Order: sequence, then structure tokens, then C-alpha cells
Amino acid sequence: MAAKKTSMYRTQRRIFSVLYFVAIFILLVIFLSPFLWMVYCSFKTPIELSKLPVNWLKGLTMDNYQKVFVQQNFFKFIKNSVIVAAGSTFFGLLIGLPASYSIARHGQKKLSMLILTSRIVPGITFLLPLYIMFRELKMVDTYTSLILAHMLTGLPFIVWLMTPFFESLPKELGEAAVVDGASSLRTFVSIVLPLSVPGIVTATILSFTFSWNNFMFSIVLATNRTRTVPVAIYNFISYASIDWGGLMAAATVITLPILVLAVITQRYVIRGMTAGAVKG
Amino acid sequence: MKRLNLLLVLILILSSVLSVSAQDKPFDGQTIRVVLANHAWTDAVAPKIPEFEALTGIKVEWESYGEEQLNQKLTTEFIAGNAGVDVFMTRPLQEGANMEMNGWYYDLAEKTAADVEYDFEDFTESSRSATTFNGTITAIPLVTEQEILYYRKDILEENGIEVPTTLDELYAAAEKLNDPANEFYGFVARGQRSPLVTQLSSFIYSYGGDWFDRDTYTATLNTPETLAGIEMYSNLLKNFGPPGVLNMHWAQCIGIFNEKKVAFYTDASSLYPNLLDPTKSDVAEVTGCAVFPAGPAGAVMYDITAWGLSIYAESQNKDAAWEFIRWATGKENSLFIQGEKAQQLARTSVWNDPEGIKSFPADWAAAVAGSIGAKSYDRPLITAVTEARDLIGGIVVTAIEGGDYLKAADEANVKFQEMLNNEKP
Amino acid sequence: MISRWIDRHEKHIFPLPAVIFIILMMVFPLGYTVWNSLTNWTLTSKAPTEFIGMTNYIELFTKDERFIQSVWRTFYFTGGSLIIQVTLGVASGILIDAKKYPGKRIVNSILLLPMMATPVAIAMVWLLILEPTTGVMNYLLKQVGLPISKWLSSTSTVIPSLILIDSWEWTPLITLITLAGLATLPTDPYESAIVDGANTFQTIWHITLPMLRPTIAIGALLRFIDCFKIFDIIYSTTGGGPGYSSETLNIYTYQNSFYYFKFGYASSMLVIFFAIVLGTVLFVTYTRKRLEV
Repeated sequence: MAAKKTSMYRTQRRIFSVLYFVAIFILLVIFLSPFLWMVYCSFKTPIELSKLPVNWLKGLTMDNYQKVFVQQNFFKFIKNSVIVAAGSTFFGLLIGLPASYSIARHGQKKLSMLILTSRIVPGITFLLPLYIMFRELKMVDTYTSLILAHMLTGLPFIVWLMTPFFESLPKELGEAAVVDGASSLRTFVSIVLPLSVPGIVTATILSFTFSWNNFMFSIVLATNRTRTVPVAIYNFISYASIDWGGLMAAATVITLPILVLAVITQRYVIRGMTAGAVKG
Repeated sequence: MKRLNLLLVLILILSSVLSVSAQDKPFDGQTIRVVLANHAWTDAVAPKIPEFEALTGIKVEWESYGEEQLNQKLTTEFIAGNAGVDVFMTRPLQEGANMEMNGWYYDLAEKTAADVEYDFEDFTESSRSATTFNGTITAIPLVTEQEILYYRKDILEENGIEVPTTLDELYAAAEKLNDPANEFYGFVARGQRSPLVTQLSSFIYSYGGDWFDRDTYTATLNTPETLAGIEMYSNLLKNFGPPGVLNMHWAQCIGIFNEKKVAFYTDASSLYPNLLDPTKSDVAEVTGCAVFPAGPAGAVMYDITAWGLSIYAESQNKDAAWEFIRWATGKENSLFIQGEKAQQLARTSVWNDPEGIKSFPADWAAAVAGSIGAKSYDRPLITAVTEARDLIGGIVVTAIEGGDYLKAADEANVKFQEMLNNEKP
Repeated sequence: MISRWIDRHEKHIFPLPAVIFIILMMVFPLGYTVWNSLTNWTLTSKAPTEFIGMTNYIELFTKDERFIQSVWRTFYFTGGSLIIQVTLGVASGILIDAKKYPGKRIVNSILLLPMMATPVAIAMVWLLILEPTTGVMNYLLKQVGLPISKWLSSTSTVIPSLILIDSWEWTPLITLITLAGLATLPTDPYESAIVDGANTFQTIWHITLPMLRPTIAIGALLRFIDCFKIFDIIYSTTGGGPGYSSETLNIYTYQNSFYYFKFGYASSMLVIFFAIVLGTVLFVTYTRKRLEV
């Protein structure tokens, strides 16, 4: 009797187990399939692309990628995006790290609120004023103007992320150094920062990604020379034709580097995305 | 003394160099910024720009944008008073009135009048009047287009239906061919609020309606004629259109036409490569083109100048900019762009040259020829065009959704009248 | 000397560059916007630009139905997205956490992808998938015998479809936040619950969820801010259509500034927009603090 019960229990557990993995599998399919569809469409000829039912092996082509890299010269846009994303991340860290450290050490709540407000302001607010400002400074179509604009999204994020990180460091660290006669700048650079590498890595990856994905600022502030990838994707839509294959190839080229980066550094990214929500 | 001699020689050499280049290449070394739209015309011209640079010594920095982004970008730069733009592509019917009012176009009258070789009179009269606002020549006409009817030759043949020549025949044919159970639909056209307005225009004109009375600035959105046009357009889409027509711009319409799911489609003539080019379309062999069907007031379709090429009023390099425009839109280049690249231009001499029309499909060319000289506008010609389009498109959306479109038309008419009151000269 | 001086004023020196940056980059645009909102600056109008006081604001609330509707629509979209993302996010987080198995990191990686991908590109992909007649989604639904939908192409289904896209992109964030929160929970309450003979659902309902509440609240607040500002996805799929049925506050404001060129009027919308989001954030932060105390 007891044996029968245990075996029943065991089957029940096995059924649960199977159901569990089926659920996880469905979840993954939902989140992955749009990407797979995007990549698949990027290898299709215009005629075959919208054919249903799908003829999996018919009309496959590399033309779309040839358009992206040869005709449209996406290398240039990728280079622009890398410069702008790296620049805005670097300078965002340069001014954001000391600020977050100070906020964490001195509990400057109002200051943190001020910086975080820039995350709340709708992006359109900045478009015209920033354009006018940069024009007066003769900075339109320079990397500097784009870097400064993208810092508006990067900086609040860095502060939001790094403040709790610095708060979690033991206070005695700084104090001990001060007792030893080190200046606060020295303490920050040679003791606090090295201990904060995991946090900084996280902030770097995410700030880079946000800049890479940013669409609105580049429309107005960039011209051909500094145009970034999310705007360049619109090159495939023209007055009387839309090239869906090229569009999907461009979308793949734009998203793939970010996705690879995310997978490689997933532990840091997850910590970053969830920081601030979870204390500890 | 020696030094003076050397200086003299230098000056001599320099001046001779300068005078030579002044004769051949008066703008050598100048740089102009040219802002274009993503357009087949741009694709045709761009590869030839190095030729122009070699010819004149002018360096051309060009960039191109989607049409809405182009308008936004130019407006932002012009508001801030940026003198960096020299030449730009513009849509006379969309932003023409507004940009002219803001004084952003350089008046090309002087340049075109002085240039005999260029022969501005060669452009069709309607295209020249389309780019002239209050006596200012704001742009050189680039490409023109008309609303035509695309249809499936094979389907019509199978069902023994003649190509419709009136809107009532079109309605009857669409009704007969409509078979939603098998995913086949009688008719498709744009259903998106703002984009649909231009394609609706020919329906309204053909019923004798219009947007407003251009003499008195009285809104006429709810007159019986205009309403009849709106009813025909929205009934075709509501009764025989594919599902989801309300989010359809031309791209979605073409997508569904190429999927062999529609019998009739009305839209701009410029879209034909999407349907008739065998590398882009599965129905290239069986797609026919016809003149827009007639209504009670006859077949009154639009025949518009969709794009023009302008010089910015504050450009510092107007002469070099004109040099670029006269090259890009000159007879020789126009013949190439229309003849080889099949763009529909506005130069009469190119249309009269067999070389100029060799790339066009025969029935398409016939449909276009049958439309030339009709209405020169496909939307209300006012400064606040976009707002007006949203208002008008809203009536059709209400009608397709099965709402009270008569009430919607009355309300839109009141708002439109308010806008017109601000526009009265 | 200098380093001593820095030490003494560390509190002010360290944040100084960031503060200067924010003042330079934000104060001018915000001030400019507030000032514009009090003028009638319209590019398409012949009337000269002049100071008109609160007229724009009065017009917004008394005359402009599209504005009022866009505000409600924004709340509809935000509310719908929040409910779905929080419910599904927390549920899937608890589900994933329930068992230990190899390859869990792969699951986490895949969850990251939707929110890291470029929204403009993703919106294009969804536009292609959800096309009612030629899209692959309706085709698949038909194959398995499920009812099809017009998705983005009908006034009644467009907002739910946009909620679907946004939720696809951002539910994983709540999932990851939940997973991170679960990892920090103490084990004692669970042990006593097992002793008390509680079943799985009871422990989740009475122990896990209450303990997760502060974590979820922050996640929800983040989502609120971004959903309220939603732009990229709508701009690239429907542009506010069909009709005006997906015109949210941000889209309507954009429409007014960059299509109608009514810069004064659009600025007054931006000010209200900003006030709503800031008000909500302050309200939530404040009540949360009181609840915790």
C-alpha cells in the first residue's frame, strides 16, 4: 500500500516535472521566435519574404546583407554608433561615478532626485532646444553633441545603478584610508573604484546599450557624417518602395552585437537591470 | 629686388591659374551641402555626382532621409537659422506653402530666366505652377505622379469583366470579385488616416467635390459632392477591402496585391515598379494599369508634382547650388533619369523623345498620358496641410469603421473652416 | 593644499561635474519649453509669436478632445502593460526559480534579449509578423485553429497589440527582478510554513509575494515611467493610427511639434506630461516610504 502511494507520488512528480519544462520551453519560444523570424527574413528575396505558407528553402539570398554593407555602407554607421556609445558611456562614468559616490556617502537625496529627473523628462523636450544650443556652439553634426545628448540617458542610469552599489560597500573602508592620511580623491580612485569593478562593468554595458538603441536624438542632431544605426535602418524605407529584406538584414546587424554582448556578460547585465529594485 | 621679382612671378602664375579656372570652373573648390529624400530619383542621381564634381570642381556633400524625417530635420535646421544647407528636396504640396511663408526658399526666378540653355519653359506648365507660390519659384519640379488604377488582368479575364471606366463599374466589378471566404478581396487602397487623403482626392474630384472653395476660402468637406466621393472610397474599402485596411499605407496595399489577394488597387503611378518589376513582384505579368475611372463629374484625377529641388534662402553658395540643380535637372541628365532609370519627370522634351519613354510599360504610359493636365493638387493647398489631412482622413476612418461619418464630416468641416480663416490671404 | 581643500569640500566637489552637466543640458531645454508653452509659436501661422499666458493650457483641457483622449489612452496602455508585465513577470520568475536544473543560465540569457534589442528594429519585425493578411502570426493561428485578429490594424485591437509587443519586450525585466528578489529572501519563513503543512500555492501567496512586494514595486515604477513615455514602438508601427486610436500623449505631442509645427501648444503638453510623471513618481516614492515605516 505504502509502496503504491510512493510510486503514485513519483508519477505525479514526474508529470509535474514534464509540465514544468514544457512551460519553460514555451516561454523561451515566445521570447526567441521574433528574433529567429527576423534573421530568417533577412536571407529572403523580396518576393519570397511574404509568401505563406513559408517555403523554407526557397528564395534564400545574401543580397540583403550585400545591400547593408556595400550599398549603404553600414560599417560607417556602426563606427559612428560605437564612437557615440563609447564616448557617452566613458564621460557618463567620469562624472557619474564621483557623483554617485558622494550621494551614497552623504545621503544627498535631493541631488540624486535632480539627476534622476532627466530620466523622467520626455525625450522630445530636448530635441529643439538642444539643436538650437548646439548650433549656437557650432557643434551640430559632431560626435560631441551626440555624446552629450546620449549622456542624458546614460548618466541618470549610472547614478541609479552605482549609488546603491557604493552604499553597499563597508563604510570603514573610506574611514580607514582617511586615518592613514589618504586624500578623499586618492581613496576614491585607488580603493573604492577597484572594489567597484563589477558595478562599473554593469553600468558600462547598459549605458552603452541604451546609447546604441537611442533613436530620437540622432534624427535631429546627426547628419550623414555622424548618423547612428537606429536611424540608418530607415534608409531602407524610401518614397515609393520599402525593402523589407534589407530592413530585416539591417535590423539583424543592429541587434546582433548587442545580443551577443548581453549573452556573454549576462551575469553583470542581470545584476544591473535588477539593481535598485533589490537591495543587498 | 630679387624678392620682388619672385613675388611678381608668383602673382602672374597665380592669376593665370585663377583666370583659367574662372573660365572653366568658376566654383572650383567650393563645397555645397545637398539634403535629399530617400527616393528612386536620388538613387539615380547619386552615382553620377562624382561626374558633376569632376566637371565643376564643386564638392558635393549629400545626405538623404525618409520623407518625414527630411521635413522634420530641415524645419529644425531652418528654425535655428542654419545656413549650412544649400540644396534640398522638397514636397511642394506638403510643406511648400509653409516653407514659402517662412521665407526659406530662394526665389529661382532670376536664375531660371537668365539661363537660356537650361530652358525652364521645357517643364510642363502644371509642374511649374505647382512649385510657384505667390509669384516665387520655390523649386525646380522633379518628379510627377498621377492616381491610376492597377488591376489583375488574369482575374478580370477569367470572370469576363471589362476594365472599369467609371467608378460605378469599379464598384460592381469589385463586388463581383470579392470573395473573403477564400481570402480574395475586390479592392484595396490606403486606409491610414493621413496617407489616404491624397488617394481619396481623385474620388472627390470625380464626383465634383473639392476640399474648399479657393476663392472664398469656404470649407466644402460636407457638401453632397465631396460626401459622395468619400462614400465611394470608404464603401469600396469597407465592403470589399481586406481586413486591417485601416493600418494600410501604400506598402501594405502593395504587399497584399503582390500576394495575389486583391483585384483592384488605386494609388500613385510612381509606385508601379513595386507591381510590375518581376524581381519585386509575383504578379508583374498579370498586372494592368488604367486611367482612373470616371465619376459623375468625369475622370478628374490628381496630376501632381510630388517633389522639387530648391535652394535654401540663406545659402552662402547660391551660385554653386544653382550649378548643381541645373546639372541635376538639365536636359541631358533628365533624359538619363527618365529613360534609363524610369523616373517620371516633368520635362516635355524628355517625354517627346523616344529614348525618354523606352523603359515605361505601355499600358502604364497610356494611363499616365491620359491623366496629364488634371488637378494639380491632391490635398488642400494650405500651410497647415498635415493637420488638415488628419481632419479629412478622420472622416474616412469613421466611415470605414461603420460610424456616423456624416456627423464626423460636419464636425471636421467646422474645424477645417477655422483653419481656413487663419489662412485667408 | 588643494587636496586638503577637496577633502573639506568633497560633498560639493565630487558631484559638481554631474550637476553642471545636468544644469547645462536640462535647465535650458526645460526653461525653454515652459516659456514656449506660454506663447502661440506656430510655424504654419502668419500671426507673430507672442506671449499668451495660460491660453494653451486652457485650450488643452477645455477644447482639445484629442488631447484628453490621448491622456486616457496613455493610462490605458500603461495600466494594461503594467498589469500584464507584473503578473506574468512575477509568475514566470517564481516558475523559473522553482526548480534547479542545468542550463538555467541559458534561460536567463534568452530572457535578456528582448529588452536589450533595439526597439526600432524590433518594432519593424513585429509589424511584419502581425500584418493581418500576409503576416505569419495569423497564419500560425489559423493552422492551429485559433481565431485570428486584425492586430495593429483595427481601432479596437491596436492598443492591446501594442501592449503585447511592449510586454514581450519588458516582461522579462520583471522576471529577472523577481528572480533577483527571490535569491535574497530568507529561508526561515518557508521552513515554518512547511512545518505548518502549507501547500505550494499557499506559501507563494502568503509568504513569497508579500516579501517580494517592495522589489516588485520598484520594477513596476520603472515600467510605469517608460510605458508612459512610450514612443519608438508606436512611432514605427502605427504612427498613432488607425484613426487616432493609438495616439498616446507622447505621440500626440510629437505630432503637434514636428508635423503641425505648433511648438507653443506642444510645449504646454510637454509640461503637463512631465508634471504627471513626476507627480506619480513622487507620490509612489512617498507612499512607499510611509508604508515601509
